[in-house]
Amino acid sequence: MPDIILADALSKRYGRQQAVQRLSFGVAAGQICALLGPNGAGKTSTMRMLVGLSRPDTGSVRIAGVPVRLGAPVLRRVGVLIDGPAFIPHRTGAANLRLLWTAAGRSWPPPGLTEALDLAGLGPAIDRKVKGYSMGMKQRLMLAQALMRQPDVLILDEPATGLDPAEVRALRQHLAARAAAGAAVLISSHQLAEVQMLASHLVVMNRGQLVAEGALDDLLGGAGTLEDAYLAMIEGHDRAAL
Amino acid sequence: MLRFELTTQLIRLRTLIALICLAAVPVAAGLSFASSAGHRNGSQDGLFGASPYSALNHTMASLEFICPLLLPIVVALLAATIASADRDWGILRYLYVAPVTRDRLLAAKLGAAALATVVALAAVLAAGLVAGVVIFGWHPFHIIGAADLTTGETAGRVLAAVGYTLLCMLAMAGIALTLGLLLPRGAEALAVAIAFVVLASILNGQHTLHAVAVALPVHYWQNWVGLFDPAGASGMGLGVVVQLGWIAGCVASCWTILARRDPAA
Repeated sequence: MPDIILADALSKRYGRQQAVQRLSFGVAAGQICALLGPNGAGKTSTMRMLVGLSRPDTGSVRIAGVPVRLGAPVLRRVGVLIDGPAFIPHRTGAANLRLLWTAAGRSWPPPGLTEALDLAGLGPAIDRKVKGYSMGMKQRLMLAQALMRQPDVLILDEPATGLDPAEVRALRQHLAARAAAGAAVLISSHQLAEVQMLASHLVVMNRGQLVAEGALDDLLGGAGTLEDAYLAMIEGHDRAAL
Repeated sequence: MLRFELTTQLIRLRTLIALICLAAVPVAAGLSFASSAGHRNGSQDGLFGASPYSALNHTMASLEFICPLLLPIVVALLAATIASADRDWGILRYLYVAPVTRDRLLAAKLGAAALATVVALAAVLAAGLVAGVVIFGWHPFHIIGAADLTTGETAGRVLAAVGYTLLCMLAMAGIALTLGLLLPRGAEALAVAIAFVVLASILNGQHTLHAVAVALPVHYWQNWVGLFDPAGASGMGLGVVVQLGWIAGCVASCWTILARRDPAA
Protein backbone atom coordinates (compact mmCIF):
# COMPACT_ATOMS: atom_id res chain seq x y z
CA MET A 1 0.00 0.00 0.00
CA PRO A 2 1.51 3.40 -0.96
CA ASP A 3 2.50 5.78 1.81
CA ILE A 4 0.13 8.74 2.28
CA ILE A 5 2.68 10.57 4.44
CA LEU A 6 6.19 10.25 3.07
CA ALA A 7 9.29 11.83 4.61
CA ASP A 8 12.38 11.36 2.48
CA ALA A 9 15.86 12.08 3.90
CA LEU A 10 14.71 15.09 5.94
CA SER A 11 17.37 17.20 7.61
CA LYS A 12 16.92 20.39 9.59
CA ARG A 13 19.46 22.46 11.47
CA TYR A 14 18.70 25.38 13.83
CA GLY A 15 21.94 27.28 14.27
CA ARG A 16 24.53 24.82 15.56
CA GLN A 17 21.95 22.23 16.55
CA GLN A 18 21.14 19.46 14.10
CA ALA A 19 17.47 18.90 14.93
CA VAL A 20 16.75 16.23 12.31
CA GLN A 21 19.26 14.22 10.26
CA ARG A 22 18.39 12.32 7.08
CA LEU A 23 15.11 11.01 8.45
CA SER A 24 12.98 8.85 6.18
CA PHE A 25 9.74 7.06 6.93
CA GLY A 26 6.24 6.60 5.61
CA VAL A 27 2.69 6.18 6.90
CA ALA A 28 0.19 4.29 4.75
CA ALA A 29 -3.59 4.60 4.69
CA GLY A 30 -5.20 2.80 7.61
CA GLN A 31 -2.07 2.97 9.75
CA ILE A 32 -1.74 4.73 13.09
CA CYS A 33 1.94 5.53 13.40
CA ALA A 34 3.43 6.81 16.64
CA LEU A 35 6.47 9.08 16.41
CA LEU A 36 8.44 8.40 19.58
CA GLY A 37 11.59 9.79 21.08
CA PRO A 38 12.95 11.57 24.12
CA ASN A 39 12.59 15.34 24.53
CA GLY A 40 14.80 17.06 21.95
CA ALA A 41 14.81 14.03 19.65
CA GLY A 42 13.42 16.11 16.78
CA LYS A 43 9.79 14.94 16.78
CA THR A 44 8.18 18.38 16.67
CA SER A 45 10.76 19.63 14.13
CA THR A 46 9.84 16.65 11.97
CA MET A 47 6.11 17.33 12.31
CA ARG A 48 6.61 20.99 11.41
CA MET A 49 8.35 19.94 8.22
CA LEU A 50 5.59 17.43 7.45
CA VAL A 51 2.96 20.20 7.41
CA GLY A 52 5.12 22.83 5.69
CA LEU A 53 5.68 25.05 8.73
CA SER A 54 9.40 24.50 8.47
CA ARG A 55 11.45 24.18 5.29
CA PRO A 56 13.79 21.15 5.34
CA ASP A 57 17.46 21.91 4.70
CA THR A 58 17.55 18.72 2.64
CA GLY A 59 15.02 16.07 1.73
CA SER A 60 11.36 16.36 0.95
CA VAL A 61 7.85 15.67 2.25
CA ARG A 62 4.96 14.34 0.24
CA ILE A 63 1.36 13.93 1.35
CA ALA A 64 -0.80 11.82 -0.97
CA GLY A 65 2.02 12.10 -3.49
CA VAL A 66 1.97 15.91 -3.50
CA PRO A 67 5.03 17.89 -2.33
CA VAL A 68 4.27 19.88 0.82
CA ARG A 69 5.19 23.53 1.26
CA LEU A 70 3.82 26.33 3.42
CA GLY A 71 0.10 26.78 2.73
CA ALA A 72 0.01 24.00 0.11
CA PRO A 73 -3.55 23.10 -1.03
CA VAL A 74 -2.97 19.43 -0.08
CA LEU A 75 -3.04 20.53 3.57
CA ARG A 76 -6.83 20.79 3.23
CA ARG A 77 -6.75 17.00 3.59
CA VAL A 78 -4.72 17.14 6.80
CA GLY A 79 -5.91 17.62 10.37
CA VAL A 80 -3.14 19.16 12.42
CA LEU A 81 -2.36 19.68 16.09
CA ILE A 82 1.14 21.02 16.57
CA ASP A 83 3.01 22.93 19.29
CA GLY A 84 -0.08 22.86 21.50
CA PRO A 85 -3.43 24.63 21.18
CA ALA A 86 -3.68 28.27 20.07
CA PHE A 87 -6.75 30.45 19.69
CA ILE A 88 -7.99 34.02 19.52
CA PRO A 89 -8.54 34.56 23.24
CA HIS A 90 -11.31 37.17 23.06
CA ARG A 91 -13.49 35.06 20.75
CA THR A 92 -15.69 32.09 21.67
CA GLY A 93 -14.73 28.50 20.98
CA ALA A 94 -17.33 28.28 18.22
CA ALA A 95 -16.15 31.54 16.64
CA ASN A 96 -12.56 30.28 16.69
CA LEU A 97 -13.51 27.07 14.91
CA ARG A 98 -15.47 29.05 12.34
CA LEU A 99 -12.67 31.58 11.74
CA LEU A 100 -10.00 28.89 11.32
CA TRP A 101 -12.23 26.96 8.92
CA THR A 102 -13.34 29.91 6.78
CA ALA A 103 -9.84 31.46 6.69
CA ALA A 104 -9.03 28.94 3.94
CA GLY A 105 -11.98 30.16 1.88
CA ARG A 106 -14.33 27.31 2.78
CA SER A 107 -18.02 27.68 3.54
CA TRP A 108 -19.26 26.91 7.03
CA PRO A 109 -19.96 24.32 8.47
CA PRO A 110 -17.27 21.67 7.92
CA PRO A 111 -18.41 18.10 7.20
CA GLY A 112 -17.35 16.58 10.52
CA LEU A 113 -18.35 19.40 12.86
CA THR A 114 -20.99 17.56 14.90
CA GLU A 115 -18.81 14.52 15.46
CA ALA A 116 -15.79 16.66 16.35
CA LEU A 117 -17.81 18.75 18.82
CA ASP A 118 -19.16 15.56 20.41
CA LEU A 119 -15.61 14.36 20.92
CA ALA A 120 -14.55 17.74 22.33
CA GLY A 121 -17.46 17.55 24.76
CA LEU A 122 -17.38 21.26 25.56
CA GLY A 123 -21.17 21.60 25.79
CA PRO A 124 -22.36 25.17 26.41
CA ALA A 125 -18.73 26.26 26.97
CA ILE A 126 -18.28 26.27 23.20
CA ASP A 127 -20.03 29.66 23.25
CA ARG A 128 -17.74 31.10 25.94
CA LYS A 129 -14.60 33.11 25.26
CA VAL A 130 -11.54 30.88 24.94
CA LYS A 131 -9.51 32.96 27.41
CA GLY A 132 -11.65 31.40 30.17
CA TYR A 133 -10.92 27.81 29.06
CA SER A 134 -8.76 25.36 31.03
CA MET A 135 -5.77 23.74 29.32
CA GLY A 136 -7.76 20.56 28.77
CA MET A 137 -10.65 22.46 27.19
CA LYS A 138 -8.28 24.24 24.82
CA GLN A 139 -6.72 20.92 23.86
CA ARG A 140 -10.15 19.41 23.14
CA LEU A 141 -11.18 22.43 21.08
CA MET A 142 -7.95 22.16 19.09
CA LEU A 143 -8.64 18.48 18.49
CA ALA A 144 -12.12 19.42 17.27
CA GLN A 145 -10.47 21.88 14.90
CA ALA A 146 -8.24 19.12 13.51
CA LEU A 147 -11.03 16.54 13.22
CA MET A 148 -13.95 18.66 11.99
CA ARG A 149 -12.60 18.68 8.44
CA GLN A 150 -12.86 14.86 8.31
CA PRO A 151 -9.27 14.59 7.11
CA ASP A 152 -7.77 11.54 5.50
CA VAL A 153 -4.43 12.49 7.05
CA LEU A 154 -3.96 13.37 10.73
CA ILE A 155 -0.73 14.75 12.17
CA LEU A 156 -1.12 15.24 15.90
CA ASP A 157 1.62 16.37 18.27
CA GLU A 158 0.91 15.13 21.82
CA PRO A 159 -2.87 14.92 21.26
CA ALA A 160 -3.66 13.46 24.71
CA THR A 161 -1.97 16.24 26.70
CA GLY A 162 -4.36 17.62 29.32
CA LEU A 163 -7.11 15.06 28.66
CA ASP A 164 -8.63 12.94 31.43
CA PRO A 165 -8.76 9.10 31.08
CA ALA A 166 -12.27 9.06 29.62
CA GLU A 167 -11.33 11.71 27.06
CA VAL A 168 -8.16 9.80 26.16
CA ARG A 169 -10.23 6.69 25.56
CA ALA A 170 -12.73 8.59 23.41
CA LEU A 171 -9.87 10.08 21.39
CA ARG A 172 -8.30 6.64 20.95
CA GLN A 173 -11.57 5.21 19.68
CA HIS A 174 -12.07 8.13 17.32
CA LEU A 175 -8.57 7.85 15.84
CA ALA A 176 -8.98 4.09 15.45
CA ALA A 177 -12.25 4.68 13.60
CA ARG A 178 -10.61 7.28 11.34
CA ALA A 179 -7.79 4.86 10.53
CA ALA A 180 -10.27 2.06 9.89
CA ALA A 181 -12.00 4.39 7.43
CA GLY A 182 -8.69 4.74 5.55
CA ALA A 183 -7.00 7.72 7.16
CA ALA A 184 -3.25 7.85 7.75
CA VAL A 185 -2.61 8.94 11.33
CA LEU A 186 0.71 10.14 12.74
CA ILE A 187 0.90 11.03 16.42
CA SER A 188 3.75 11.94 18.70
CA SER A 189 3.46 11.01 22.34
CA HIS A 190 5.38 10.23 25.53
CA GLN A 191 2.48 8.15 26.90
CA LEU A 192 3.82 4.76 25.87
CA ALA A 193 1.05 2.66 27.44
CA GLU A 194 -1.49 4.68 25.48
CA VAL A 195 0.57 4.36 22.30
CA GLN A 196 0.76 0.59 22.74
CA MET A 197 -3.05 0.42 22.81
CA LEU A 198 -3.49 2.70 19.80
CA ALA A 199 -0.62 2.50 17.33
CA SER A 200 -0.13 -0.04 14.58
CA HIS A 201 3.32 1.25 13.59
CA LEU A 202 6.22 3.08 15.24
CA VAL A 203 8.91 5.51 14.21
CA VAL A 204 11.49 5.93 16.96
CA MET A 205 13.86 8.91 16.90
CA ASN A 206 16.82 9.90 19.02
CA ARG A 207 19.19 12.86 18.58
CA GLY A 208 17.46 13.75 15.31
CA GLN A 209 18.10 10.34 13.77
CA LEU A 210 15.91 7.36 12.97
CA VAL A 211 16.42 4.58 15.53
CA ALA A 212 13.77 2.12 14.42
CA GLU A 213 10.75 1.95 12.14
CA GLY A 214 8.15 -0.72 11.56
CA ALA A 215 5.03 -2.49 12.78
CA LEU A 216 4.44 -2.29 16.52
CA ASP A 217 4.42 -6.07 16.98
CA ASP A 218 7.71 -6.47 15.10
CA LEU A 219 9.42 -3.76 17.14
CA LEU A 220 8.12 -5.09 20.45
CA GLY A 221 9.82 -8.43 19.78
CA GLY A 222 10.35 -10.29 23.03
CA ALA A 223 9.87 -7.20 25.19
CA GLY A 224 6.71 -7.33 27.25
CA THR A 225 5.79 -3.69 26.99
CA LEU A 226 6.45 -0.84 24.60
CA GLU A 227 8.15 0.97 27.46
CA ASP A 228 10.77 -1.79 27.78
CA ALA A 229 11.32 -2.00 24.04
CA TYR A 230 11.50 1.78 23.63
CA LEU A 231 13.99 2.30 26.45
CA ALA A 232 16.17 -0.51 25.12
CA MET A 233 16.16 1.09 21.67
CA ILE A 234 17.05 4.57 22.98
CA GLU A 235 19.76 3.27 25.36
CA GLY A 236 21.23 1.16 22.57
CA HIS A 237 21.32 4.18 20.26
CA ASP A 238 22.89 6.36 22.95
CA ARG A 239 25.59 3.75 23.58
CA ALA A 240 26.30 3.47 19.87
CA ALA A 241 26.58 7.26 19.61
CA LEU A 242 29.21 7.28 22.37
CA MET B 1 -9.08 35.75 5.15
CA LEU B 2 -9.79 39.51 5.15
CA ARG B 3 -12.87 38.80 7.24
CA PHE B 4 -10.69 36.85 9.66
CA GLU B 5 -8.38 39.84 10.15
CA LEU B 6 -11.27 42.30 10.46
CA THR B 7 -13.35 40.26 12.89
CA THR B 8 -10.37 39.46 15.09
CA GLN B 9 -8.98 42.99 15.21
CA LEU B 10 -11.66 45.60 14.59
CA ILE B 11 -14.25 44.02 16.90
CA ARG B 12 -12.00 44.29 19.93
CA LEU B 13 -12.36 46.29 23.11
CA ARG B 14 -8.96 47.96 22.72
CA THR B 15 -9.80 48.97 19.13
CA LEU B 16 -13.13 50.46 20.24
CA ILE B 17 -11.41 52.34 23.09
CA ALA B 18 -8.80 53.73 20.68
CA LEU B 19 -11.52 54.87 18.26
CA ILE B 20 -13.52 56.43 21.10
CA CYS B 21 -10.39 58.33 22.20
CA LEU B 22 -10.00 59.63 18.66
CA ALA B 23 -13.65 60.67 18.48
CA ALA B 24 -13.54 62.29 21.91
CA VAL B 25 -11.03 64.94 20.81
CA PRO B 26 -13.31 66.80 18.35
CA VAL B 27 -16.20 66.52 20.80
CA ALA B 28 -14.15 67.94 23.69
CA ALA B 29 -12.72 70.69 21.49
CA GLY B 30 -16.20 71.61 20.26
CA LEU B 31 -17.53 71.85 23.80
CA SER B 32 -14.63 74.02 24.92
CA PHE B 33 -15.23 76.48 22.04
CA ALA B 34 -19.03 76.39 22.27
CA SER B 35 -19.21 79.91 23.68
CA SER B 36 -17.43 81.24 20.57
CA ALA B 37 -19.95 79.77 18.11
CA GLY B 38 -20.15 81.96 15.00
CA HIS B 39 -17.09 83.98 16.01
CA ARG B 40 -13.33 83.76 15.65
CA ASN B 41 -11.61 81.55 18.21
CA GLY B 42 -9.64 84.16 20.17
CA SER B 43 -6.81 85.60 18.13
CA GLN B 44 -5.87 82.34 16.43
CA ASP B 45 -5.37 82.15 12.66
CA GLY B 46 -6.06 79.44 10.12
CA LEU B 47 -8.36 76.51 10.74
CA PHE B 48 -8.10 76.76 14.54
CA GLY B 49 -9.19 80.41 14.46
CA ALA B 50 -12.14 79.69 12.17
CA SER B 51 -13.27 76.45 13.84
CA PRO B 52 -16.36 77.91 15.64
CA TYR B 53 -17.86 79.23 12.38
CA SER B 54 -19.34 75.98 11.07
CA ALA B 55 -19.48 72.21 11.42
CA LEU B 56 -17.04 71.65 8.56
CA ASN B 57 -14.67 74.31 9.90
CA HIS B 58 -14.65 72.46 13.21
CA THR B 59 -14.17 69.08 11.49
CA MET B 60 -11.14 70.20 9.53
CA ALA B 61 -9.66 72.01 12.53
CA SER B 62 -10.05 68.80 14.52
CA LEU B 63 -8.26 66.88 11.78
CA GLU B 64 -5.39 69.40 11.78
CA PHE B 65 -5.09 69.05 15.56
CA ILE B 66 -5.23 65.27 15.66
CA CYS B 67 -3.25 64.44 12.53
CA PRO B 68 0.34 64.95 13.72
CA LEU B 69 0.29 62.61 16.72
CA LEU B 70 -2.88 60.95 18.03
CA LEU B 71 -4.23 59.70 14.69
CA PRO B 72 -0.90 58.15 13.57
CA ILE B 73 -0.52 56.49 16.98
CA VAL B 74 -3.96 54.89 16.73
CA VAL B 75 -3.27 53.86 13.13
CA ALA B 76 0.05 52.36 14.26
CA LEU B 77 -1.72 50.49 17.07
CA LEU B 78 -4.24 48.96 14.68
CA ALA B 79 -1.75 48.11 11.93
CA ALA B 80 0.91 46.68 14.25
CA THR B 81 -1.71 44.50 15.91
CA ILE B 82 -3.07 43.29 12.57
CA ALA B 83 0.48 42.32 11.57
CA SER B 84 1.46 40.53 14.74
CA ALA B 85 -1.57 39.31 16.71
CA ASP B 86 -1.86 35.92 15.00
CA ARG B 87 1.80 35.24 15.78
CA ASP B 88 1.44 36.52 19.36
CA TRP B 89 -1.55 34.21 19.92
CA GLY B 90 0.18 31.27 18.19
CA ILE B 91 -2.57 30.78 15.61
CA LEU B 92 -0.37 31.73 12.67
CA ARG B 93 0.72 28.08 12.35
CA TYR B 94 -2.92 26.97 12.28
CA LEU B 95 -3.69 29.51 9.55
CA TYR B 96 -0.82 28.20 7.44
CA VAL B 97 -2.05 24.59 7.81
CA ALA B 98 -5.71 25.66 7.26
CA PRO B 99 -4.19 26.19 4.59
CA VAL B 100 -3.63 29.88 3.87
CA THR B 101 -0.77 30.91 1.58
CA ARG B 102 1.67 33.69 2.40
CA ASP B 103 0.31 35.81 -0.44
CA ARG B 104 -3.26 35.53 0.86
CA LEU B 105 -2.15 36.25 4.38
CA LEU B 106 -0.28 39.37 3.31
CA ALA B 107 -3.15 40.55 1.09
CA ALA B 108 -5.57 40.16 4.03
CA LYS B 109 -3.27 42.05 6.37
CA LEU B 110 -2.77 44.87 3.87
CA GLY B 111 -6.51 45.11 3.25
CA ALA B 112 -7.34 45.03 6.95
CA ALA B 113 -4.71 47.67 7.78
CA ALA B 114 -6.04 49.93 5.01
CA LEU B 115 -9.62 49.49 6.22
CA ALA B 116 -8.60 50.12 9.83
CA THR B 117 -6.92 53.34 8.71
CA VAL B 118 -10.09 54.42 6.93
CA VAL B 119 -12.13 53.65 10.06
CA ALA B 120 -9.76 55.62 12.31
CA LEU B 121 -9.87 58.65 10.01
CA ALA B 122 -13.64 58.33 9.66
CA ALA B 123 -14.01 58.31 13.46
CA VAL B 124 -12.32 61.72 13.65
CA LEU B 125 -14.30 63.18 10.77
CA ALA B 126 -17.64 61.81 11.91
CA ALA B 127 -17.15 62.97 15.50
CA GLY B 128 -16.01 66.40 14.30
CA LEU B 129 -18.96 66.73 11.96
CA VAL B 130 -21.60 65.60 14.45
CA ALA B 131 -20.15 67.74 17.25
CA GLY B 132 -19.81 70.66 14.84
CA VAL B 133 -23.39 70.46 13.60
CA VAL B 134 -24.75 70.26 17.15
CA ILE B 135 -22.55 72.99 18.64
CA PHE B 136 -21.80 75.37 15.75
CA GLY B 137 -24.47 74.55 13.15
CA TRP B 138 -24.21 74.02 9.39
CA HIS B 139 -22.88 77.18 7.72
CA PRO B 140 -20.63 78.05 4.75
CA PHE B 141 -16.95 77.24 5.24
CA HIS B 142 -15.25 80.33 6.68
CA ILE B 143 -11.66 81.29 5.96
CA ILE B 144 -10.12 84.06 8.03
CA GLY B 145 -8.97 86.88 5.76
CA ALA B 146 -10.93 85.63 2.72
CA ALA B 147 -14.47 85.14 1.47
CA ASP B 148 -16.49 82.09 2.55
CA LEU B 149 -16.03 79.09 0.27
CA THR B 150 -18.83 78.07 -2.08
CA THR B 151 -20.38 74.63 -1.69
CA GLY B 152 -18.40 73.31 -4.65
CA GLU B 153 -15.11 74.77 -3.40
CA THR B 154 -15.76 73.37 0.07
CA ALA B 155 -16.53 69.88 -1.24
CA GLY B 156 -13.45 69.82 -3.46
CA ARG B 157 -11.04 71.04 -0.81
CA VAL B 158 -12.44 68.86 1.97
CA LEU B 159 -12.25 65.79 -0.26
CA ALA B 160 -8.69 66.65 -1.28
CA ALA B 161 -7.67 67.18 2.36
CA VAL B 162 -9.28 63.96 3.53
CA GLY B 163 -7.83 61.94 0.64
CA TYR B 164 -4.38 63.39 1.27
CA THR B 165 -4.56 62.66 4.99
CA LEU B 166 -5.75 59.12 4.27
CA LEU B 167 -2.73 58.57 2.03
CA CYS B 168 -0.44 59.91 4.77
CA MET B 169 -1.99 57.62 7.36
CA LEU B 170 -1.73 54.64 4.98
CA ALA B 171 2.01 55.30 4.90
CA MET B 172 2.01 55.21 8.70
CA ALA B 173 -0.02 51.99 8.64
CA GLY B 174 2.51 50.52 6.21
CA ILE B 175 5.38 51.34 8.55
CA ALA B 176 3.59 49.81 11.56
CA LEU B 177 2.58 46.74 9.55
CA THR B 178 6.19 46.19 8.47
CA LEU B 179 7.40 46.54 12.05
CA GLY B 180 4.67 44.15 13.24
CA LEU B 181 5.86 41.48 10.82
CA LEU B 182 9.54 42.14 11.46
CA LEU B 183 9.71 42.33 15.25
CA PRO B 184 9.04 39.35 17.54
CA ARG B 185 6.02 40.81 19.35
CA GLY B 186 3.25 43.29 18.58
CA ALA B 187 4.01 45.43 21.64
CA GLU B 188 7.57 45.95 20.40
CA ALA B 189 6.31 46.91 16.95
CA LEU B 190 3.87 49.43 18.43
CA ALA B 191 6.56 50.96 20.66
CA VAL B 192 8.97 51.36 17.75
CA ALA B 193 6.23 52.78 15.51
CA ILE B 194 5.28 55.40 18.12
CA ALA B 195 8.96 56.21 18.68
CA PHE B 196 9.28 56.67 14.93
CA VAL B 197 6.40 59.19 14.83
CA VAL B 198 7.77 61.15 17.80
CA LEU B 199 11.38 61.15 16.60
CA ALA B 200 10.37 62.01 13.04
CA SER B 201 8.28 64.91 14.37
CA ILE B 202 11.25 66.18 16.40
CA LEU B 203 13.57 65.82 13.41
CA ASN B 204 11.03 67.62 11.27
CA GLY B 205 11.23 70.62 13.59
CA GLN B 206 15.03 70.91 13.30
CA HIS B 207 15.93 73.24 10.43
CA THR B 208 19.51 71.98 10.39
CA LEU B 209 18.23 68.47 9.63
CA HIS B 210 16.00 69.53 6.74
CA ALA B 211 17.76 67.16 4.34
CA VAL B 212 16.75 64.24 6.55
CA ALA B 213 13.25 65.52 7.30
CA VAL B 214 12.22 65.74 3.64
CA ALA B 215 12.65 61.97 3.32
CA LEU B 216 10.30 61.30 6.21
CA PRO B 217 6.55 60.90 5.65
CA VAL B 218 5.79 63.05 8.72
CA HIS B 219 7.29 66.11 6.99
CA TYR B 220 4.33 66.34 4.60
CA TRP B 221 1.39 65.37 6.82
CA GLN B 222 0.14 68.93 7.42
CA ASN B 223 0.58 70.24 3.85
CA TRP B 224 -3.17 69.97 3.18
CA VAL B 225 -3.88 72.75 5.72
CA GLY B 226 -2.93 75.29 3.03
CA LEU B 227 -6.08 74.32 1.13
CA PHE B 228 -7.99 76.36 3.73
CA ASP B 229 -5.59 79.29 3.83
CA PRO B 230 -5.76 82.40 1.60
CA ALA B 231 -2.12 81.74 0.63
CA GLY B 232 -3.05 78.32 -0.77
CA ALA B 233 -1.49 74.86 -0.39
CA SER B 234 2.02 73.91 -1.44
CA GLY B 235 4.03 70.71 -1.45
CA MET B 236 1.07 68.37 -1.65
CA GLY B 237 2.27 66.82 -4.93
CA LEU B 238 5.66 65.99 -3.45
CA GLY B 239 3.88 64.78 -0.32
CA VAL B 240 1.82 62.34 -2.37
CA VAL B 241 4.96 61.03 -4.09
CA VAL B 242 6.81 60.53 -0.79
CA GLN B 243 3.84 58.79 0.87
CA LEU B 244 3.40 56.48 -2.14
CA GLY B 245 7.11 55.72 -2.02
CA TRP B 246 6.89 54.76 1.65
CA ILE B 247 3.78 52.64 1.04
CA ALA B 248 5.45 50.82 -1.86
CA GLY B 249 8.60 50.28 0.20
CA CYS B 250 6.62 48.93 3.14
CA VAL B 251 4.56 46.54 1.01
CA ALA B 252 7.75 45.21 -0.59
CA SER B 253 9.35 44.84 2.85
CA CYS B 254 6.30 43.01 4.23
CA TRP B 255 6.34 40.58 1.33
CA THR B 256 10.08 39.97 1.72
CA ILE B 257 9.79 39.40 5.48
CA LEU B 258 6.93 36.92 5.10
CA ALA B 259 8.58 35.11 2.18
CA ARG B 260 11.97 34.69 3.85
CA ARG B 261 10.90 33.87 7.38
CA ASP B 262 10.53 30.28 8.46
CA PRO B 263 7.30 30.40 10.52
CA ALA B 264 8.63 27.74 12.89
CA ALA B 265 11.99 29.47 13.46
